[in-house]
Amino acid sequence: MIYLDNAATTLHKPDCVIDAVCTAMHTIGNSARGVHGGSLDAARTIYEARLKTARFFGCPDETGVVFTSNVTESLNIVINGLIDEGDHVITTDLEHNSVLRPLYRLENERGVSLSFARADNCGRINYSEMENLIRKDTKAIVTTHVSNLTGNGLDVARIGQIAHKHGLLYIVDAAQSAGSIPIDMERDKIDVLCFTGHKGLYGPQGTGGICVMPGISVRPFKVGGTGVQSYLKTQPVEMPVRLEAGTMNAHGIAGLSTAIDYINRVGVGAIHEHEANLARRFYEAMRETEGVTVYGDFGQEDGPRQCAGDPWKARGAIVAVNVRDYDSAEVADILAMDYDIATRAGAHCAPRMHEALGTTDRGAVRFSFSYFNTEEEVDSAIAAVRELAQTN
Amino acid sequence: MPEKNNLKYYILFDTNTHGFAMQALLKEEGIPSRIAPAPRAIQGELTCGMSLMIEPENIGDVRRVLEEKKPRYHAVRSLEGQINPHRDRYC
Repeated sequence: MIYLDNAATTLHKPDCVIDAVCTAMHTIGNSARGVHGGSLDAARTIYEARLKTARFFGCPDETGVVFTSNVTESLNIVINGLIDEGDHVITTDLEHNSVLRPLYRLENERGVSLSFARADNCGRINYSEMENLIRKDTKAIVTTHVSNLTGNGLDVARIGQIAHKHGLLYIVDAAQSAGSIPIDMERDKIDVLCFTGHKGLYGPQGTGGICVMPGISVRPFKVGGTGVQSYLKTQPVEMPVRLEAGTMNAHGIAGLSTAIDYINRVGVGAIHEHEANLARRFYEAMRETEGVTVYGDFGQEDGPRQCAGDPWKARGAIVAVNVRDYDSAEVADILAMDYDIATRAGAHCAPRMHEALGTTDRGAVRFSFSYFNTEEEVDSAIAAVRELAQTN
Repeated sequence: MPEKNNLKYYILFDTNTHGFAMQALLKEEGIPSRIAPAPRAIQGELTCGMSLMIEPENIGDVRRVLEEKKPRYHAVRSLEGQINPHRDRYC
């Protein structure tokens, strides 16, 4: 199988990650439950993972690193834990339902009001318009780093500047960028970063996390056992236990920790360059193929620039297309059945992005690339799409 | 244009769990089915998700099972494929 659905999850993981999970399952106990060897091995494993994660994302304090089961859980914890009744929040049309649904729920249940930075038909937002959405009661800006549908990258440093200029919190969904695009919370003025472990970080499913800058207090989403302060009737206030009730996924975190080691060895820059080269190769072929429509911002001149310099430096390795007037689901099904190429059709949990692109009725076929894909695989995908575009 | 015999039936579901349960049921009954992405043209408000693709010669048996066993599903729809299954192949 040629696996080009890496925006959903990376299927090919480094062997060292798989080995780390297996070793942990053979050896470690429950972190912070007792001080015997098994428990301490788990606690040390998780602590080391916190340190590596903090350094990886430019979070100045490792106690601000909280592990969760995925980025959706991270975003739910953060959005529910920071936004109060009556607050106003700014977000964008690029968002995944993992951002949209928690915000819509707060809109319905807590009287939170929302404003959207609208995207044009290439999925680009206008940053000046975003700044104009700020009101007296605005509490936070919540944005993705990279669109899971088009691969468009947002200029998080620019949004971070806007947020801090107006005293707002800036919350970033790094589901599609963590591991593939360098992130520095301090440099980019990101207050809270939500990430998942199983995509560009090449860790196991069931891992994710939150990086919280010092001084920001997030209300706990769940309360319960922490292994410390057991006679306290309320959740301990100290981070990270404040947000980590219940047994941790230490086996998964061991894999995530090793995955970060792997990425540091290869280099985020090298990973991004390889992925971007594959995506660019596919995009260049698609845009020249009659009958194929490509969606997204690839540095077109007509519209607001999302980032300074080369647009590929800030893009995720994602290219979404449609072929002729075909239903995207049928194209993805034919690609899987006849060519053994795995892609993702449909709505991609990004309803507002599809509305902006004008693809609500037919969806799109998303090709997403990883460090483990090859040029030969990309060329096979190009040949398959071209064959479909020429048929009938 | 696609050949007219390219008609397929799709069983749609509210969740993938119902879909896998249905496929297990159809397998018990000896009725072939294949998991496929739910076509946008027929999925309505369900948007994403899986469907079970049924060949026309089996749809009568499927409807009998749906009537007798009352499994959970959203709808059964038919749709003619847009891509010619007998197209020229080069790769």
